[in-house]
Amino acid sequence: MEYIADGFIEAFKLLLSLDQEVYSIILLSIYVSLTSTLISSLVGIPLGFFLGLKKFRYKRIVTRFLYTFMSLPPVVVGLTVAVIISRRGPLGSLGLLFTPAAMIIAQTLLVTPIITGIIFNNSKEQGHVIRQVCKTLGGNRLDTLLLLIKEMRINILIAVVTGFGRGISEVGAVMIVGGNIKGHTRVMTSFIAMNHSMGNYSISIAMGIVLLAISFITNSVLYKYVAGD
Amino acid sequence: MDIKIDNLNKVYGDKSVVNIDSLSIDKGKIYGIIGPNGAGKSTLVRIIAGLEEATMGNPIYNGRSLDTKSIRDITYMSQRPYLFRTSVFNNIAYPLKIRKYDKKAIEKKVIDIMKEFKVSHLEGQLATSLSGGESQKVALARALVFEPKVLLLDEPTANIDPNSIELIEKTISRRNKEKGITVILITHNIGQAKRLCDKVIFMRKGKIDEYGDAEKVILNPKQSTTKKFLSIYSM
Ligand SMILES: Nc1ncnc2c1ncn2[C@@H]1O[C@H](COP(=O)(O)OP(=O)(O)OP(=O)(O)O)[C@@H](O)[C@H]1O
Ligand SMILES: [Mg+2]
Repeated sequence: MEYIADGFIEAFKLLLSLDQEVYSIILLSIYVSLTSTLISSLVGIPLGFFLGLKKFRYKRIVTRFLYTFMSLPPVVVGLTVAVIISRRGPLGSLGLLFTPAAMIIAQTLLVTPIITGIIFNNSKEQGHVIRQVCKTLGGNRLDTLLLLIKEMRINILIAVVTGFGRGISEVGAVMIVGGNIKGHTRVMTSFIAMNHSMGNYSISIAMGIVLLAISFITNSVLYKYVAGD
Repeated sequence: MDIKIDNLNKVYGDKSVVNIDSLSIDKGKIYGIIGPNGAGKSTLVRIIAGLEEATMGNPIYNGRSLDTKSIRDITYMSQRPYLFRTSVFNNIAYPLKIRKYDKKAIEKKVIDIMKEFKVSHLEGQLATSLSGGESQKVALARALVFEPKVLLLDEPTANIDPNSIELIEKTISRRNKEKGITVILITHNIGQAKRLCDKVIFMRKGKIDEYGDAEKVILNPKQSTTKKFLSIYSM
């Protein structure tokens, strides 16, 4: 049991040590997940609204796929991306394998369906009503879009934070496409997995605590905003 | 604005929920729609509001079909109005904002109409936290602030106390007299129909069962179905 307590002590030591490597790992994690969340938001928010509000053929099938994609196993996404960007793959010439860019691509694929799905679900009901009210008050398409974003800002925020949480906490995809290379593609989750498998329990617990703290902070900001609204 | 309906049909699946041969709505009059639940009243009004397409025979507005310009003169308030997640003031100001009124004009109009509806004290309150009756008044103020030519109301006074009902009725009738606004009002309140409406449309199973001057239809219905319906109400 002692190693758990050690983990906490180690966590503080880790953070206070101002160790260059530790901080660069944390920063890379945040950078990769923030970037992929940003890209996913730019794609997923409009797409979610579109799917939720428009009637079109094959909508049923598309939504079925969307729900499936929401729970894609990170390892499968990692593997798929790796195959595509590996040297002999279709995008091999770009030399992306084992780079942060590859990790961003993989996480974007994981996070986009989540953001799209959450926005889709919320806009189906609430979005439909908002759109109709806007129409009855004389709003055009642009007014409707702006109003939708404004009225559903909390849903959008929840979707983005959930997406970020998914990105920063997954290990399967970043491990495969990033390779956990020291000083280059090592992020918090792959650091934890590696140290755990090497028997360095306290340091992996320490990094786990840091990861939790980041989730806690992002969610606190979210709930503060939601409650303050 | 005059509205003409000819051979309008609305089908859901294989069920025809509205089926009207002919109806004309004349400018400046107040129309009441009465009828049992599921008669197709809301559906008809939503089609007139441009919120739903008829399966056949969309209404004609001043001789033309609904376009982006004429739809701006029509407003509709649903059975359960949706207010925006912002203050009462901002809710009422919204239609003016999108019409690009300047700030001063917006303030004046909103303050005036809040007085008219006796909701001035709620100005800064979050609209989603209002009571049912308050919401109804704010939603109606928001619908009227930009002076639409046609006002469509789906049971505007359900769940509202008598004082507020009187206030809402007075406002509707004042707007009608002073500004010539055309009103179509769905109601389950026969007294209200008698007080407010020039004409009454009695709907049943998607069809117009009886139509005519309010007094006549209510006091002296011709159809046995209307008679039966009204007698239950007056019990
Ligand atoms: N989207 C829809 N899909 C299928 N059926 C619908 C839909 N909307 C309405 N209906 C049906 O159309 C019929 C008429 O509904 P409508 O809401 O117009 O009735 P109403 O006269 O307004 O009733 P109430 O007095 O209860 O408000 C009902 O039988 C309803 O179930
Ligand atoms: Mg109805």
